[in-house]
Amino acid sequence: PLVTQCVNMEQRDPGWKLFGKVPPREGPVKDPKRIQKFVFLWFFSDPFLFFCHQEYETKSGRAGPGNPTSPRQSVRKNLDFEPLSTTALILEDRPANLPAKPAEEAQKHRQQYEEMVAQAKKRELKDAQKKKKQLEDRCKLEDSIGSAAQTWNQEILPNWSTMCTSRRVRDLWWQGIPPSVRGKVWSLAVGNDLNITHELYSICLARAKEKWKTTPAPSSETETEDAGSSDRESSLELIKLDISRTFPQLCIFQQGGPYHDVLHSILGAYTCYRPDVGYVQGMSFIAAVLILNLDTADAFIAFANLLNKPCQMAFFRVDHSLMLTYFAAFEVFFEENLPKLFAHFKKNNLTPDIYLIDWIFTLYSKSLPLDLACRVWDVFCRDGEEFLFRTALGLLRLYQDVLTCMDFIHMAQFLTRLPDLIPAEQLFQHIAAVHMTSRNRKWGQVQSASYYS
Amino acid sequence: METIWLYQFRLIVIGDSTVGKSCLIRRFTEGRFAQVSDPTVGVDFFSRLVEIEPGKRIKLQIWDTAGQERFRSITRAYYRNSVGGLLLFDITNRRSFQNVHNWLEEAQSHVQPHSIVFLLVGHKCDLEAQRQVTQQEAEKLAGAYGMRYVETSARDAINVEKAFVDLTRDIFELVRSGDIKIQDGWEGVKSGFVPNTVHSSEEVTKGGRQCFC
Repeated sequence: PLVTQCVNMEQRDPGWKLFGKVPPREGPVKDPKRIQKFVFLWFFSDPFLFFCHQEYETKSGRAGPGNPTSPRQSVRKNLDFEPLSTTALILEDRPANLPAKPAEEAQKHRQQYEEMVAQAKKRELKDAQKKKKQLEDRCKLEDSIGSAAQTWNQEILPNWSTMCTSRRVRDLWWQGIPPSVRGKVWSLAVGNDLNITHELYSICLARAKEKWKTTPAPSSETETEDAGSSDRESSLELIKLDISRTFPQLCIFQQGGPYHDVLHSILGAYTCYRPDVGYVQGMSFIAAVLILNLDTADAFIAFANLLNKPCQMAFFRVDHSLMLTYFAAFEVFFEENLPKLFAHFKKNNLTPDIYLIDWIFTLYSKSLPLDLACRVWDVFCRDGEEFLFRTALGLLRLYQDVLTCMDFIHMAQFLTRLPDLIPAEQLFQHIAAVHMTSRNRKWGQVQSASYYS
Repeated sequence: METIWLYQFRLIVIGDSTVGKSCLIRRFTEGRFAQVSDPTVGVDFFSRLVEIEPGKRIKLQIWDTAGQERFRSITRAYYRNSVGGLLLFDITNRRSFQNVHNWLEEAQSHVQPHSIVFLLVGHKCDLEAQRQVTQQEAEKLAGAYGMRYVETSARDAINVEKAFVDLTRDIFELVRSGDIKIQDGWEGVKSGFVPNTVHSSEEVTKGGRQCFC
């Protein structure tokens, strides 16, 4: 006795001609057909069952060939799928060459069979409802992004200086800037105190290119003398090596990738614009995120202005004593917001530099999924450096329960390699719940107070 | 259930940027070679158990540091609490070998009053054709500083296990002989939870169930 279950995983195209079901025609859907069929075989007590289960069939799938739909419509229609009673469980008696089942046993098997059908249907319905809900949510999100983009483009951006501090804009800002206007908003919010023009960028870039040409490739014989003092020079070399290590999984900044040269140019131009700062590891991630949202010259302007902010300057110049004031201020708010976790960290000698350095240097772009990092950047552009530390507290608050059960090394590993899936809404709720006042003092006051102490 | 170990050693891995520190550690702790990895900003953490004698396990806590010179003011704070260190250079990059001296000086001036047992590692030994540092001169340098020398490749998994295990054994002997002592307020060596008499994992699971919360 054998039960065979065929589960067809593809929703739009059952493509399975059993029991007279004709596979529905595909609507004009973008993604290629991906049909996965899994066939499980296993032994079962007695009923000779052949169980074929088709998960879902979509309404649009039933649309005939004379009913053309636009891709968008068809995508929309696909949302309304419903579970079909395609769970075709067939109960058969034993083959004729075997002795028949006793009536009692047959009855039992019929009952088992009915239970199986009922359960399968229930599961089907539940899955379908879940999928439907997910798609509805995604649609809602798309719609809200669409309408938000319109609001930003038509109402906010044209009246930036008057509107950017209004309550409504700030609320909208918190919810995340639509990707299509993100670059523009970042540029406006970061500003251009340095008054960098596109021309200046071209000049810096030309200078960088000149340098690349004149700096010979490192060879074993030529530079035996000044090994230790070569940090500045080797930063040009380091840029080259780091570019291919920037978001390697995206495959766009690597040699031959579409943004390789752009990233190289911006980082090179910056070392000519600020030779006193030069290239510091972590910068390539910031430049890369900007490149993904802005044109090259504008990305450079935003990059240079962003790095010019006090907190970023302190970190990228690796001004250790100044960095310590940021860590000290952070700990004040940490203790205030999460006293239990703070005590646990203290007990385990887990100091904030261990996780904050990476988070602050790369503005979370290395440690958070990119879309979530961009949302952090959104509010960072609105609220300034304070938000970077508030985000850190939000993350600690989100993972407070797991962290309190870990020892030093597990916490350190957890925080330097955050989970791949971080629930965005939940994280932002936790960030929102973090209070950024301590004994009536705001972040800036606490930070500068620790500077003088 | 946490696996039980006799001691925990904190090791620090240093050396110029792109000599392959993270790749070496990942080969050792994860058993695979990462074709692409992002630059380490600040410090990264890894851990693995090493069995140096049957039933004697050491937990290694490995601190992977940023290689860029600019970060040294940050990473130098991490020397003090390390008992051992792997000092890497890239055998295909002469400059990284010349910097070994600077790294050692840097470490020695910031580890006082403790000291670090160092192992000199010539990395990327699979790239023999591009070699710029001979094994002899590296051995000579290591000898001058009283270190062992080993050539490794994370890509081809050559000597990776040996590098970490040899260093661990050396430290273990120094702990056993009393030359390195466990001290309060020093994280370099921590004692485990199990008496030395425990020799099999079975006994360990029977007796040593502990909560780490």
